[in-house]
Amino acid sequence: MTDVQQFSCTVNGLQVSTAVDTRTSAADFLRQELGLTGTHVSCEQGVCGSCTILVDDAAVRSCLLLAMQLHGAVVETVESLGGLDELSTLQQTFSAEHGLQCGFCTPGILMTVEAAKRAGTSAVAVVDELLPGHLCRCTGYDNIRKAVQVYLSPEA
Amino acid sequence: MSLMQRPSLVGANVQRVNDPRLLTGEGRFVDDINLPGMVHASILRSYLPAGRIESFEAGSNAEAWVLGPDQIAAATREIPCVWIAPGQQQLSNPVASRALRYVGQPFAIAVAGSRAEAEDVAESVAVQIEPLESVGDARDALMPGAPLVYQEAASNLAVEFSIGDTSEELDAVFAAAPHVIERTFRIPRIVPSPMETRGLIASWNPGSSELTVWMSTQTPHHVRDHIALCLGLRADQVRVIAGDVGGGFGSKEHVYADEVMVCLAAMTLKRPVKWIEDRLEHFTATFHGRDAYHHARLAVDHDGTFLAIQSTITGNVGAHLSNVGTGPFRVSSIMLPGPYRFAKVGTRITAAFTNTTPTGAYRGFGMQEAAWVRERLVEEAARVLGKSPVELRDQNMFRSDELPVMTRTFQEYDSGDYRRALRLVADRIAAYRPPASEPRIRRGVGLATHVEFTGLGPSASQDFVGFRLGGYETTVVRMEPDGSVFVSSGVMGMGQGIETTLAQLVAENLGVPIERVRVQLGDTASAPYSAAGSIASRSITVGGGAAVMAASHLRDKLLRIAGHQLEISPADLELVAGEVRVKGETRPALDLEHLVTRSWLGLDLPDGESPDLEHKSVHDPKNIAYPYATHGAAVSVDLDTGQVTVDAYWVAHDSGVVVNPSIVDGQIMGGVAQGLGIALFEKMIYGPEGDPRSTTFMDYLLPLSSNLPRFTLDHFETPAPHIPGGMKGIGEGGTIVAPPTIANAIAAAVPEIADQLVETPLNASRLWTLMHEAGLHDD
Repeated sequence: MTDVQQFSCTVNGLQVSTAVDTRTSAADFLRQELGLTGTHVSCEQGVCGSCTILVDDAAVRSCLLLAMQLHGAVVETVESLGGLDELSTLQQTFSAEHGLQCGFCTPGILMTVEAAKRAGTSAVAVVDELLPGHLCRCTGYDNIRKAVQVYLSPEA
Repeated sequence: MSLMQRPSLVGANVQRVNDPRLLTGEGRFVDDINLPGMVHASILRSYLPAGRIESFEAGSNAEAWVLGPDQIAAATREIPCVWIAPGQQQLSNPVASRALRYVGQPFAIAVAGSRAEAEDVAESVAVQIEPLESVGDARDALMPGAPLVYQEAASNLAVEFSIGDTSEELDAVFAAAPHVIERTFRIPRIVPSPMETRGLIASWNPGSSELTVWMSTQTPHHVRDHIALCLGLRADQVRVIAGDVGGGFGSKEHVYADEVMVCLAAMTLKRPVKWIEDRLEHFTATFHGRDAYHHARLAVDHDGTFLAIQSTITGNVGAHLSNVGTGPFRVSSIMLPGPYRFAKVGTRITAAFTNTTPTGAYRGFGMQEAAWVRERLVEEAARVLGKSPVELRDQNMFRSDELPVMTRTFQEYDSGDYRRALRLVADRIAAYRPPASEPRIRRGVGLATHVEFTGLGPSASQDFVGFRLGGYETTVVRMEPDGSVFVSSGVMGMGQGIETTLAQLVAENLGVPIERVRVQLGDTASAPYSAAGSIASRSITVGGGAAVMAASHLRDKLLRIAGHQLEISPADLELVAGEVRVKGETRPALDLEHLVTRSWLGLDLPDGESPDLEHKSVHDPKNIAYPYATHGAAVSVDLDTGQVTVDAYWVAHDSGVVVNPSIVDGQIMGGVAQGLGIALFEKMIYGPEGDPRSTTFMDYLLPLSSNLPRFTLDHFETPAPHIPGGMKGIGEGGTIVAPPTIANAIAAAVPEIADQLVETPLNASRLWTLMHEAGLHDD
């Protein structure tokens, strides 16, 4: 059963106007239709946070959104942060603090921290309230917290 | 001579080579790969713990395609078990069958143009399953009259064997012992839960008769061998390629039946087929870790000397013996003594079939269970005897001057100072100031200690214990004609950072800048054969040892060629920072690039020297490498809610030579996080009939950032004397010893329930109940 609908949005600065099967999730749309495979899908029920993207500056779970719900929105994924030869400060900080191991959960965490930075959220609030919304099975979180601290409060 | 001193790459916090791609979304996990003409699979699975497929009708759908259990069984050979216990009858398992023995068991595959459409097709298949009686718990399964997992069998007994001293010898020691501490411990099932689930793409090329499989796996060659065997292909017809792997933790160390089905589908359809496990499937289709009862006892003399330790293990292997079968229970047994002297040690293992997902490898493999049993018994002995837990451990630990020493379970512990780690954590605990007191909050500190079996292992030893996987690793180091360095090894990266640490070892031992070194892993078409792959904390120990050997041999060859050209003894030359120098001088003695170019042209070589600048070393270690650690924890326990907060955590460990301290710290902290999950949250729950009851991250809780304390880590470095480079494994220690560490701290906080702390997880509900029964609530 397919029901195809037209919609448009901005993804990483590019205007996208396309048709999708209405049951396609935002995560699957980004990964499969646009080839933006940096957004990772792990639990598909909004618990783990791996698929977090920015929609109009807000960090959201792309596995819980339908692609259609992106209509008219400004969407940003991990690919927007910084390229291989020009890592952003956020990306550099995660590497320097060894805040990732397998890297599967990392893009989602980066997007949450990026949204927090724009919103002026404090490092303490990110660590206490936002980071527990992401599952990481590798790191034990301590280095992720350090990276968040260094990135959001470099002087501290 | 400051000019002579240079920073070593071994021990340096070199940035991980795969960080940039993982941080920018440029990683290549298996689901990121798409091939032209690719179709998608959905697996049909049993929704009953036990039953028989009476009928299977796929219906007609021109755009879809289904293979049922009979077709799959007819087209495949069974998947072999690789770790065979004494007397084990079940030596392989079918890829598909009409006999269903656990929820999640795959029995058919549906393929369509997208994953969603494949799921639609799977749902449209008419399957009639006749339900059968079932059993979920190992002890229930061994009771007379229990429902039989294999109807033709006399009982659910899978395997039974003993390890160590005989029960008669042990009985004599226990009968005469002044003190005996005896408890029944329960170690529940753990779901490995890497953030990336399993998945693969299989592509059959009819023209070349080659099957190429991109898979998220820890063991590309092992997977290749079994895919070839199951599909009746030669090994050279199957190529397995593992790209970025989003965690494994043991769960991706062999080929699963559903993965063979995907390969069969690709061969049958002659189109690439992708299958990505969903999270619900991971909870029941990927093999679990643990699941055992340990009825255990510790005999202690008047003066506190440990006399004997014994455990009667009832293990749950699930619906069939996995590739490693009863291996975890065996490792629980051989590592039961830990760092202590015992006159007698023995276990009896009784493994039962049940209607549950098979149990296999998970980080800590048997050793977490051993540490839980031993360190809780020791802690209880200290409490009952009124002794200091630190002094009791110290008194019984092997002293450094006793090493190497053979244990009663035939482990030859190699090197280190176990008491030093214990003392250091004890000192850190003594200096700790807990948070201000609150009326209904109890504070406690505790510690636990262990010795670990890493770097599997001498091939002969593996054969001796029935583990049919060679224990060696091979690394190839090649200096290319342009002077760049290519490294290929059979071990596999899965987030632990082995690509970076191998590059460090090669750069250091070859004598070139690390920027010149590229490490390639995971492709069976290019990597040297690896029987066991990246399991058992063996990548840096066995594969890294081979890298040290190969790089050193290639350096020696380059210096022989340079010596020939310079008419200087190679012994007077060194290769430093990519330059050949006369020892003691700081300028290059010749142009290395020129030497390399000429060598590959076959020119200017000493007599008998081959022109290739490539060396392959095979490293079959002489012994297991035995790291050790003591962990300490400070906890707060809320008497009214049962909630535990871990306020501080200390680790003093020795994993031999540390190649990259940041990576080693990351392995320890990540390992402790999984151990803390075991201690406080994680349990795969089955009903008595084998019905799974925790199948999402909302009812199977992984630890969150808010559950993890800050860590204080202390490293010692006692090189493994028998490993080139001196490294010992570091992947699993944190997971092994964290659960008893946290439990011992809880026991100190609430001594009223100390004797009841025998089962994990020690979650709020369990602790509240125990505290309520102990009269700690006024009602």
